[in-house]
Amino acid sequence: MPQPLTSLPKGSKAKIVGIAAGRGLTYRLMQMGLTPGAEVEIVENSSGPLLILVRGVTVALGRGMAGKILAEPT
Amino acid sequence: MSLDKSKTHEVVVAVIGNPNVGKSTLFNVLTGEIAHVANWPGVTVARKEGVRDYMGVRIRFVDLPGVYGLSASSLEEVVSREYVVSGEPDLIVVLADSTTPERTLYLPIQLLELTPNVILVFTKVDEMSRLGIHIHFDRLESILGIPVIPTSATQGLGIRDLLNKIVEFAGGRRFRGDAVKLDYSGLEPFIAEVSEILKSSKAVSNYPIRWVAMRLLEGDLRIEELLNSAGESYILREVQRVREAIRRSVGRDPSELFISTRFNYVHSIVREVVVRVERSRGIEASFEKLLQRPITGPLISVLILFTALLAVFSVNTGFPLTTMLSYFGLDELAGFIETYSLNGLLGMMFSLLADLVSENLSSVNPLITSLIADGIVVGVGAVLSFLPLILMMFTFLAVLEDSGIAPRLAISFHNVLSKFGFSGRAIYPLIVSVGCNVPGVLASRTAIEDEERLEVIAATPFIPCQARLVVVMALVTAFFKSPIAQAMAVASIYLVGIAMFLLTGILIRSVAFKKAEPPELILEVPAIHRPNLKVVWWISWDYTKHFLKKAGIIILSLSVIIWLMLNLGPTGFVVDAELSYGGILSRAITPTLTPFDIVGEDAWKVAFALLHGFIAKEAVLESIALLHGGVSVADALQSLGLSTTQAYSLLLFTTLYVPCLATVATIYQEIRNIKVVLAQITYMIVAAYVIALTAYLILKAAGL
Ligand SMILES: Nc1nc2c(ncn2[C@@H]2O[C@H](COP(=O)(O)OP(=O)(O)O)[C@@H](O)[C@H]2O)c(=O)[nH]1
Ligand SMILES: [Mg+2]
Repeated sequence: MPQPLTSLPKGSKAKIVGIAAGRGLTYRLMQMGLTPGAEVEIVENSSGPLLILVRGVTVALGRGMAGKILAEPT
Repeated sequence: MSLDKSKTHEVVVAVIGNPNVGKSTLFNVLTGEIAHVANWPGVTVARKEGVRDYMGVRIRFVDLPGVYGLSASSLEEVVSREYVVSGEPDLIVVLADSTTPERTLYLPIQLLELTPNVILVFTKVDEMSRLGIHIHFDRLESILGIPVIPTSATQGLGIRDLLNKIVEFAGGRRFRGDAVKLDYSGLEPFIAEVSEILKSSKAVSNYPIRWVAMRLLEGDLRIEELLNSAGESYILREVQRVREAIRRSVGRDPSELFISTRFNYVHSIVREVVVRVERSRGIEASFEKLLQRPITGPLISVLILFTALLAVFSVNTGFPLTTMLSYFGLDELAGFIETYSLNGLLGMMFSLLADLVSENLSSVNPLITSLIADGIVVGVGAVLSFLPLILMMFTFLAVLEDSGIAPRLAISFHNVLSKFGFSGRAIYPLIVSVGCNVPGVLASRTAIEDEERLEVIAATPFIPCQARLVVVMALVTAFFKSPIAQAMAVASIYLVGIAMFLLTGILIRSVAFKKAEPPELILEVPAIHRPNLKVVWWISWDYTKHFLKKAGIIILSLSVIIWLMLNLGPTGFVVDAELSYGGILSRAITPTLTPFDIVGEDAWKVAFALLHGFIAKEAVLESIALLHGGVSVADALQSLGLSTTQAYSLLLFTTLYVPCLATVATIYQEIRNIKVVLAQITYMIVAAYVIALTAYLILKAAGL
């Protein structure tokens, strides 16, 4: 079941399924490597922005943003 | 033009890469100090150019903004892409980061789909062994069919290899014949269909047809515009139909498929040429973890900022080190440090210069002498005496940036700032502004969206800078007796300043831009590492030079205007400030001081000092002292006969209204719209007045 990144616990891994944001943001995220199928690891998920590891790079995402990214836990 | 080029052997090389890939550093090594900085036409995206003569070839490097791709979905991407397709650059040098090849090879692939004239440069190869990464550059070279050059700008590795390849290209050598053609499998029939339609188009005939077809399927505002304005909108209708067909048959947006396919291709290459071995990173990794944790992160961040700011302040004016020393009875040492702090030394230099001018020119013409000595030297000197502070604040910012601490600060502060219409990135301008507002305004460029950039520019000047701290300290020590009251007064000024910063952000976002959502935070977080001194120096000196050149002219002319105001009156050149236009204006605005119960003979002097403070805030103190015949600032303040409450409200006003000439000049440089700048000045004055008056009335009612 795909879930928003915000609901995945720290340390877990998932595969991106889709991004439900506006066109510009979706583009930006995908060009940073967050394409459907990409593997992500949740580095930090507490009250602040999410930290994820994607394609060898750590990326910080505001929680609003991260909630719009759907991923399938692996 | 092209004839000229071949004669002198000039080759234009565009340098492009992801943000943080090491582009600025490489650019500096390639071109040295001769870089020329300007903005791209019509946008505030910096354009840097530098020339390098190498083996008889004049290589003109053009630095493109840092971008992740060429989809033209942001200002930077538009600028970069338009330049690449303009035909102006002969060759593109595209950078990939050796420490993150999985992500940074995307842009090179996208570029290779557009043109075959590309050299791929890997940056930071010195980091690879530490991180346990190995890349088979030669294998990559044969896969892509273009030169692949490993470099380290900080160690000077591979620079000659790169220059040699550029010279080979200039000599007529071509690396590969045509653009890279990826297999988009399911999309291929659709690309072919659109390519067929495009054959009849004239508007886009300069571009490779397959590329335009792909761009249109992905959705590209620029190219759509191009077709529309050429009256070829029927093509767009056809494209729209094809896109619908894709969505129906594949169930996904075409752009998603294009980007995924490219990344899959990158992935397949990386699997073949990159080997990663686990390496433990030791102390840096532990520090990184601490900075990332929910509680320790913000805590350490605040600690780092606080210590660094104290250090910078102490070097600059001695304060607060001097205060601490005096507290321990070491007044002599405190005095020594204050005199020989950078600010003290520069101040001495300029007053010496002013004296020298008046002595040697006084026989010539008193008017010109005064203009030079009291107008230009004092005005420019007042601003220049902050140069060390500006440089140090830039250095501070550069260290934060280069070490990788900066993005972690942004993360730590994001939650708080997003309640006020900012993203966590606004923490940089907020912090630097505590030192000086000029770099604060310039740091607005780190904002992703234009709205946030303007919010930052409007909010930044409310943060009390170190110059204002000097004024605050002088007034506070003159009017408050107990150290606790003094400390509370100073702290309250900072709180009000920061509150105004935050309120201005949310106000502009919700009222002017009508946006309910705070800006998003999307931020790459590089590994923490020891800052490279060379890089830090480049960044900070670059900014400082920029400030000197751009703001310098505005500062100079405004100094002259203000001198004219203070020394010319209806009767011509006046010695008595009271008779000058400035004095007359001060008298005219004294009624605004009446609600503060500042009335009577000396009221105009207060107005005059505030007027003078427009140049720079220490001018407020200087002019009060001057009007009292050069006695010490503290005595002059006392003799104005202000009550503590009045002094405090005055202090609030002084801190909040328009920071200084230099900041106004910088704001203008960034916004380039005189109306907006005037609106901002008005806003600041009104806000300062309302707050000061409110504070006064409350304190008065409370019987203080
Ligand atoms: N180890 C190493 N670090 C580098 C090198 N070049 C740049 N960097 C670092 O990479 C970061 C980004 O560099 P910068 O030139 O500002 O990147 P830009 O954003 O692409 O302009 C900084 O922290 C630099 O110190 C290099 O050759 N070796
Ligand atoms: Mg840079």
